[in-house]
Amino acid sequence: MASRSKNIYFELTEELNAEGFIAVLASGQAVVYYKIAMMSKDGDWILKETPEACRRVLEVLGQRGARYRSGAPLDVRWLAAGWSSHFEFIDLEGRRIRCDFLTRPPRVSPEDVAPLFEAKPGESLLVIGLEPLIRMKQTQRAKDYPVIGELARLLPPEREIEWTTDPDRILELASVHGESSKRPPVRAARAGGSREDVVVELARELDRLQQQDRKRVEKYRAAAETFTREFLAARIGDKELTEAHSHVCQLAERWLPFDPLGTEEDHGAPQ
Amino acid sequence: MELLSEDDLNLKEMTWEELNRAWDLWFTLAQATNDFDPPYTHGVFVDPDWKPTRKPEGDSE
Repeated sequence: MASRSKNIYFELTEELNAEGFIAVLASGQAVVYYKIAMMSKDGDWILKETPEACRRVLEVLGQRGARYRSGAPLDVRWLAAGWSSHFEFIDLEGRRIRCDFLTRPPRVSPEDVAPLFEAKPGESLLVIGLEPLIRMKQTQRAKDYPVIGELARLLPPEREIEWTTDPDRILELASVHGESSKRPPVRAARAGGSREDVVVELARELDRLQQQDRKRVEKYRAAAETFTREFLAARIGDKELTEAHSHVCQLAERWLPFDPLGTEEDHGAPQ
Repeated sequence: MELLSEDDLNLKEMTWEELNRAWDLWFTLAQATNDFDPPYTHGVFVDPDWKPTRKPEGDSE
């Protein structure tokens, strides 16, 4: 039985990685891990993009009685295209546990994903590093940006200045650590701009990031629309996981494109 | 500049055991709003016909 004193998503991370490192805790639960905020009821993992990793996840979730939620099959053919897979089960205490998996986190390059699966000495949980986590958090949601500011405080100052959303920290750090920064708010501070100048540049930067994310997510959403309807009509979520997986693969082969963004943009899961 | 509330910032002062217990309590209480949660807060596989469920009176979350 799950301990009352342990985060079930931390527990699942350890279980998923018990036979080899395949799953890195990311997003909201990583924010909890870094003691920033309790901001998510779901668990998100970056999964190693291998069939073996997918099998391990399905095995662990199957043992917990999980069901598919609407989403791509947990299969590298779709995960490699930036799609994400979603599951849900009820734990022994009657609580709803939602588990999301992707292999191509948005705004994080494959070169930066590979080292995430290397265990850090003395750390029992495989958790995404601060800078890739910040990149993932650069979404269209306004609530993510204060969190980015707090995550950035955990970095050394020469890296904090590349990510912080706090105008006061930019003004404090810019003269010593901002020389090589290309960020407009840092450049404004270094050019002797006022606090208001820095705030305006930060707001423009944030809006640009939100618009980029919105545009990307919308392309995925449009590409998934028919598939989602078919998924729901087939009541995949009511089926036992093995049967559901087979069925959702069949639906995806017909309705879920392998290249939803075309070749013009980097892939990266919208979720 | 404080970007988050004191409730969140106090997490840093907790031991791991305290953090896990606090999270566990928060998560258990948060189950109360499950029926009102959107299917995804930032996803693409949303039922095109999905409509938000109205939350109970006085629920500010």
